[in-house]
This record gives sequence, C-alpha cells and structure tokens, in this order.
Amino acid sequence: MTPAEKQFSLNRAASRKQFPISLPVNATGGSRFFARTLLLGICAFGSPGAGWSAEPLFERDVLPVLTKNCLGCHGGLRQKGGLDMRTIPAMLKGGESGPALSAGKPDASEIWKMIASDEMPKEHEKLSAADKRTVRDWITAGMPTVAERQRKPDPLLPAGTRHVPAQVAAAIDQHLDRALAGANLKPAALSGDAEFLRRIYLDLAGRVPTAAEAAAFLDDTAPAKRPELIDKLLATADFGAQFGRTWREWISPPELPSDANGGKQPHNETRALGEWLGKRFASGDSWDRIVRDIITVEGELKGSPHAIFFGLAGEGGKITADGSARAVASLFMGVQLQCAQCHDDPFRSWAQKEHWGLAAFFGGTSGDFNKVTETQAKNGARIKIAKAAFLNAGSEVPAAFLGGGAFDPGKEAALRPALADWLVAKDNPFFAKAFANRTWFYFFARGIVNPVDDMRELNPPSHPGLLALLGNEFTASGFDVKHLIRCICNSRAYQRTSRPPAGMDSVALDALARSFGRMPLRVMPAESLYGSLCQVYGDPKLDLRTLAPKDGNSDGESAAVGDPYLEFKRRFFTNEEDATDFTHGIPQALAMLNHPRLLARSKALETFLKSTPAPSPQQTVEWLYLSTLSRRPAAEESADALAFLGKSGDAAKAHAGLLWTLVNRSEYIFTP
Amino acid sequence: MNDHPDLRLSRREFMRLSAAGVLTGASVPWFESLASAAVKRPRGKSCILLWMDGGPSQQHTFDPKPGGEFKSVPTAVPGIHIVEQLPKLARCMKDMSIIRSMSTEINDHYDAKYYLHTGYKRAPAFEHPAVGCIASSQISIPEGDLPGFVTIDAGNDKGNGGRFYRSVPAYLGPQHAPLAVQSPDRGLENLRNDSADLDARLALLARGEARFAEERPLPAVAAKQAAYERAVRLMRSSRARAFDLDEEPDWLRDAYGRHRFGQSCLLARRMIEAGVSFVEVFHRGWDDHEGAARRIHARAPWMDAGMSMLIRDLKMRGMLDDTLVVWMGEFGRSPGDGGGHFCKAWSTVWAGGGINTGIVVGKTTESGKNAGAAVEERPVSAPDYIATLCTVLGVDPRQEVMAPGNRPMPLADKKATIIKELIA
Repeated sequence: MTPAEKQFSLNRAASRKQFPISLPVNATGGSRFFARTLLLGICAFGSPGAGWSAEPLFERDVLPVLTKNCLGCHGGLRQKGGLDMRTIPAMLKGGESGPALSAGKPDASEIWKMIASDEMPKEHEKLSAADKRTVRDWITAGMPTVAERQRKPDPLLPAGTRHVPAQVAAAIDQHLDRALAGANLKPAALSGDAEFLRRIYLDLAGRVPTAAEAAAFLDDTAPAKRPELIDKLLATADFGAQFGRTWREWISPPELPSDANGGKQPHNETRALGEWLGKRFASGDSWDRIVRDIITVEGELKGSPHAIFFGLAGEGGKITADGSARAVASLFMGVQLQCAQCHDDPFRSWAQKEHWGLAAFFGGTSGDFNKVTETQAKNGARIKIAKAAFLNAGSEVPAAFLGGGAFDPGKEAALRPALADWLVAKDNPFFAKAFANRTWFYFFARGIVNPVDDMRELNPPSHPGLLALLGNEFTASGFDVKHLIRCICNSRAYQRTSRPPAGMDSVALDALARSFGRMPLRVMPAESLYGSLCQVYGDPKLDLRTLAPKDGNSDGESAAVGDPYLEFKRRFFTNEEDATDFTHGIPQALAMLNHPRLLARSKALETFLKSTPAPSPQQTVEWLYLSTLSRRPAAEESADALAFLGKSGDAAKAHAGLLWTLVNRSEYIFTP
Repeated sequence: MNDHPDLRLSRREFMRLSAAGVLTGASVPWFESLASAAVKRPRGKSCILLWMDGGPSQQHTFDPKPGGEFKSVPTAVPGIHIVEQLPKLARCMKDMSIIRSMSTEINDHYDAKYYLHTGYKRAPAFEHPAVGCIASSQISIPEGDLPGFVTIDAGNDKGNGGRFYRSVPAYLGPQHAPLAVQSPDRGLENLRNDSADLDARLALLARGEARFAEERPLPAVAAKQAAYERAVRLMRSSRARAFDLDEEPDWLRDAYGRHRFGQSCLLARRMIEAGVSFVEVFHRGWDDHEGAARRIHARAPWMDAGMSMLIRDLKMRGMLDDTLVVWMGEFGRSPGDGGGHFCKAWSTVWAGGGINTGIVVGKTTESGKNAGAAVEERPVSAPDYIATLCTVLGVDPRQEVMAPGNRPMPLADKKATIIKELIA
C-alpha cells in the first residue's frame, strides 16, 4: 500500500476559514515559482515510451485545480461533508453523499455535477471554463494518472551495478532526449568551451577560474579535455569546500539561533560545519557514512563540528525532536513534514502520526547548538505530541519509520542508530533518490521532483526513468558523491548552452528549460561571487562593508556588521529556491558600482604585470577578461578596451577602471 | 524585477547609462526641479519610524502617573497629559495620538525588536520581512529613482540595548533591503563615485551589456540591467541631493536641534519629499537599567525639539496627512523608576498619515502602588500595530506573499485587528 493510498485516521478539525492563496502582483521569486508550478498548464512531463501526451492526467492537470479550489475544505485540515479530495481512492469512497466520482461518467459524478452547476466551490472563486473542461475530460477519460503512465519507469541501465560515468551520462541524455522528442522540443546546442569552463568551475569549485587556468583550458587541444577538467576539479579541495558550503546553506536556517537577548550567533561554528562536510566530500567519503555520522552524533561541538546540526534544526537554539525529524526528512529523504507537525498536512498525505513517529527517534536527544546529549527516553520509543500542535497535543505516538515500517525498539532501544540504519540501507526508498534529486537541482536549478524536498506519489518526477537511473547508480556505487557528479557533468544535457535558441517565446523557453533541453542562466550565489571577487582582486579578505566597527559606534549598527564575509552574504543573497531569479536591486548595484574597494587596484593584476616581461596593453586586457569573464575579449571588445586604456594617462587607474567595468557586467554575475 | 516586460533594453536605454554628466536643473533648488517631474506615489503615503532602541520608559515620556518621577503636565488637548520635559511635543498634541496600551509578550531585546519590526515572533523556519521592507515592496514608487526604504543612524547614548536588529527583506527579495545613512552628514551609503572617468567607464560598461543582452534575452538579465539603470539614475539624479543637509537653511536646522537625532529627522523629511517611502531613524541607548529619570531628562530636549519640529515641518509643507510618523521602542520599562524591561503595558506615539489625532488609545492602571503595571483598557498587540501601520499606508495586511517552502504568508499575522480608533 503506498502512502497515498493509505487512509489515515483524520480528525475533523474545527471549522476554519478557507486557506486563501492569492498571488499578489508585487510578490517576487518564490511566488512566481509557485504560480508556474500551479497554474501554468504546460508541464513537460515526459516518460519514455508514453511520450508527452495531451490527455488530462490527475497529478499534472487535475490535482493543481483541486488544490487551489477544493482541498481547503476537502483536504487534510477538514473534510466538509465527509469528503476528502486529496486522492482518487478517497474521492471514489466519497463522503456523506456517497461516492464522488464515477470513472468515464462525468454526469454521474457528484464532483462534476457540483462544479458544473457552480454550487462548488463554496465561498470561493468559481472554476474557470478551462478548469471545468479539464476535470470533465479527465473523468470522461477514466481518470488516468501520471503514476499509471509511469508505473514501471525504465532506468535504461540495470540496477544493482555501478557503471562507467560515460555510460551513465549517455543514459541520462537518452532519457532527456526521448522526452524532448515526445514533446516536440528541440534541445539547445552544446556550450562553447568558455561557457563550459566558467560553469564547471563555478559549480565544482565555487569560483571562476584564474586567468592562467582559463587560458590553459581554452588553449588545450585534447579531445577529452572536458571530462579531464571535471576529474581534475573533483580531486581538488575547492570541490569539497564548495559542496560543504552548499550543504551547510541547505542545513542552516536563515536566521541562526542565539539566546533571546540576541547574544552571539554561531556563525563560526556553522562555517565549521561546512568545512567538516567539505573535508568529507573532498576525501570521497560516501554519503551514507556522512549522514550516519550526522544523525548519530553525540557530545560537544569541540570535537565534532557536525554536532551543531541538531541545534540548527531546533528552536531558539535548543534541540527539539520534531525539528530534528523535519530536518532529517527534508534534507536526507526529500520529504516535507512541517505542515504535519500540528495537524494532518492539508495537501499532502503525511499524517500527523507519521511526523511524530519519526520525531520519536529523537525523543531522547537534547541539547543546544553547542552539545548533543542522548538519554534513554523514559517512555522507551514513544513521544508526546507537543503542546503547540493544534490537534492531539499531549497524546503519545510510538516511533515508526516514515512510510509505514514499524520499529520494535527491543531492549536496547538505541533510537538514532536504528534510524540511521534504516535510512541509509540500500533498499530505503528515499535516501538515494533524495540526494540524486537535490544534486540534479544544484546543477540544473530545477529538480526532477519539485520542490526538491517534496517527493511523494502525488508530486511525481518529471522524468521518472531518469530519477530511477540516478538513484540506482548512486546506490550501486555505494553512495559515491563524486561518481554521481561525474555522471551528471559528463552528460550532454549539462553541457548545453544557456543561450536561448532564437525565435522561441518565453513560454516555449520555459518548457525547454523545464525539460532540461537547455541549461538555465543562474545567478551566482553570494559566496561564489565573494570568492571570485577576492580572487580577481587578490584580496582574500575583500571588505565591502560601508559601516565598519571603528566608525564611531562601537556598538549598535556598526558593531552588528562585524564580518566582511558575512556582511557580503547578507547583502548579496540570492533566491535559494530558484537560481534563475535575479533579485538584486539598488542596494546591491550601488555597492558594486561605488564601493571604494572595487574601484581600487587589484593585487592579482599587479602580480601578473610584475611577473610578465614587458606586458602589452593587449595582454593586460586579455588577462582581465580571462580573470573575470573566463574568456578572451572579442575583437570589438579589445578595441573598446584598448581605446579606454589609451585615453587615460595613468595606467594603473585605467587598469582599475577596466577591471571595475568587467565585474559590473551582467555576464560577470551569472553562471552561464 | 523579473516581471520586466521587455526582455531587452533598447539602445537608447543603454545610452542613458552613460549620459553625460550635466544635471538638469543643476542651478535650481532641487525641490523645484521635482515639481516638473511629479513624484507619482501609487498609494500616496509614506512613513517615518522613530525607533528608540532599548525600550524607552513610558512613565518618563508619554504615560506619566500621579506621584511618578516626572511631573505630568497638560498638553494642547484637554485631558491628555505627558511629562513636563517634552513641552514642544505637548504643544503638538493635536497632531499626535498616544497608544498607551501596547502589550507584547516579549521582554528580551532582540526577540522583541524582531517582533515589533515584523509582527511575527522569531521562528526557525525563515525570517520575516521588516515593516520598512514591506513598505518598500508594496508602496514604493516602482522604477523610482530613490530606494524604497532608508535607515538613518541617529546616534547612540551609552547603554547596550541588546543585539542590534537590522531590517531584513526576507522573502520579499534583496531589492527591498534598506539603504543605510550612517550619519546625517555622511549621506547615503555607496552613493558617490568620485572616479574622474566615470562617464567613460559607464560607456564601456554599456557596450558590453548590449552584446550580452542580445545573446541572452532572458528576464534575469533584464532585471539585472534594470537594477543598474536605477542605481545610475539615482547617482545622477537631482533627487539624490535629498541626502544633502547643507541645502536646508540654518534657522531650520537649529529648530530641529543640532543633535544628531534632530538632523536625522530633518533628513528623513527631505527623503520623504524626494520619494522614499519608509525612513527609519533609530537612536540607540534607551535601555536604562539604572533608572530612566536622569537619562531621559538629558535626552528630552533633543527628542522634544527634533520630533516636534518634524511634525510641524511636515504640517507646514502640507505633507503631514500623507506621512505617518511613529515613535516607539521594542517595549517599555518598569513602572516607577523605569529600571527593567516591561512589555506588559507601554506606549507608542503616532502622528500624521491621515489618522485620528489628539486622542489616547487604551489605558494603563492609573492609581495605586503599581500604577501602570497593567493595561486596563484596549490592549494592542504587535501584530495589531503592524496591521494598523500597513492599513494607514494603504497596504492590505492580509495580502499574502510566498515564503520559502511555497508557504503563503500574510504581511501581518491573520489574528491582528486594526486599531480602529486611529483610522479616520
């Protein structure tokens, strides 16, 4: 029985106002992401064999309509008239008026009759004609589902064996190309060398290449230079650091905990967590070992930087069982549980009982962000639902693995190790896919399942065979992180250009990106931007603060601006959920244009000039372009730059001016 | 920003990036050249928040008690009394309203500041946007020259007051982060660029931008170029002279008071005139644990001068009805000597913005040993305060924006109720 088909004991909640979802015009990134997912009719769901079909499918076409208009009153929070509309079995069962759906017969289906006559939805905007048509056509077609169409996704490579990266890359491309062909979409061309160079350095090393690194790659004539560069970067410490930072950002909440009076926040300790992760990634430790160490950590922060994980997941800096469960579920299982903390999730099938069943594994874990202690829980493996929950506060729930497996604690009841054992087992349905999906999301700005931590039956993957392939490969390789990355980066899909093909309108471009037919243009994360600027200015502690502690106030605003790196991150943060969304505005632009540090000279340039015998202006221009845009200047760019240098009497100032121009270009701030 | 209708900027717009430096109206007082470029404000209102960081004592300012440390004196509104140390504000009482029944459950500095800036309690899931950022995202002039939200540092008395809270736009996006004025004489951060060859640099930049936009006609690129265009416009805008206090006559600067707070209030007025929607003037050091009397007695003259002159100046210029002024801290202080934090019953002051003025909202206990220890009538919570502020500015507090995790968040907590007594 799949979780979706399970019937949970749903409490009838007290009547509450309907859950309104309005999308204001002024809202930014996140809401547009939601709007696209929810309201845009064209979704590039493809599956090998079935192709992309125009028939209405439940999860893709009908469920979004129901979610927006019906589930507020007929979902996990409450079921008016006894009707739950979250799943087909629930609708077939019906409520007080009997079965609500009749396959193939819309005019005999209660739901259709209610919608058609506008009797439903009550106290809500009525369904549009298009939405009504979708529901009716779907019932007429016999209520087909994506899940049926994807029943046995073919990964194209046999599970259980590790394959050569080239083979996996080819299979990835096969999956995507089939879906593109089915949807009549032509993929974008392959990227040029410069584009690939910049992208792979930013993705694998968290910075742009130096001028020397760039020139070396661009001038290399070896036919296998791209796979070789991928291998080379995966072997560096920079790779570990970049992935450590990335996971650290995914793990940390946006506001780090501190004591109530706003005492010290554990910025350094959180950075140390990132560095600890980075070392593990760099040395090729398998993901199951890393996650097991995180889940079972005990003791002081001093010896174990990863002990901060639970404090970060808790509340007010204190470790909580349910916070820990939610973090583990979201990060390592790709499952969102937060709605189910207080009541059954209104839109997903997670029941409150399942959320707390997972939390029970952390029932004996306590502490804060400095230390983790495990004590034998008094009730063995049972936990009390928190007072803050809307429903069932105080009742006890036994530990249970998510998805149904019961847990028998036995005499020893070592809870967290048992959870770790279950989680990283080769047959665990969540572990490998969650990591593969998140890693795909990292490179493509979009997961195969979206959102990246919302993997469930009613939110199917856009390419189920592809997800199965990556999950299988990751598992068969012993959860080898570098191997998975190698497979993805060697695919043609990852190496396509991000230049939109000519003559496509924005809807088609969107569909192409969502079918992974072209690479997205991504905004550089703040840390990569900082690292790249430090590199080109030759200043590892580049300081772009405008308020500095020495300026008068030793307290107050200036003191709050303590760390150049943190301050930079705070100012230049990007949309974590959608890397293609550019959200900077005047504050960021003014800082890049006018901060004295960026107007000043670059030590790295000075080193280059000193170490080159009689450097010509052309050489200098080339060095500047390579260090910033990772390519050589085009002919007219050279001409412009040389003219600019020629006008100025002061060479050093002119160089600084040219450098300033380059870091302020749009091309600089994007990962192509 | 991503909703930019054209995916490419025209050649003409690129040239604007490098427009030669002659400012139109350079020889004309800056507010006159404004008249020709009418400042179109979508909903017409703006806000100046006077933030007294640390928790100002209500019984030593706007809610004095009989037998208290400070004497209470009548104001221009019969029946309303404030402390005698604020005579100029007493004369402005007809244009002000006092809420005496603020009651907000948090006594810890940082958490309380967060609560009173966002209307939400700190949660691990995500950060909430501060009210200034909300204003920037909802009522600031779209594509306007000036940023929507500016903060001004009005100085620091000794006294900790907990970790400083910095307004965060959170899920509204980084473009709504405030721009900071470090001190009134320093002007807006990162506004000036003194490179001699700035025009040549901008021209060079513009040419590179054109090529890239042609190759990648995508919304993100258009958004980036639009942000830069706005920034350069601001740098060259005559409105940027709003940040220059030298243009104000000496007598007016004296009337505001030559203390940093008074000059900050004056600067705030200029910025509102120039098109900023929300200005937060903050002064730190009100956390008077040794007792509020002596310290507030010392602060009262400049606070009295600055705040009253701000109200009168706005009124003289016909701006008061469209500019909401709010004076407050993160909580009040203990009844009596004002030594400890006190969130159960404290005061804020509102003026302008078209609200009902000359009234007192709510009451604290008047007599007895612990006068002022509790709210007697009409408690006002932090969400109520935020929702009311939004409403006065013309923003619907129930409007929802997407927070991380596809979670719709209303601008103010759903449970909030508007302070109807203030709304005309």
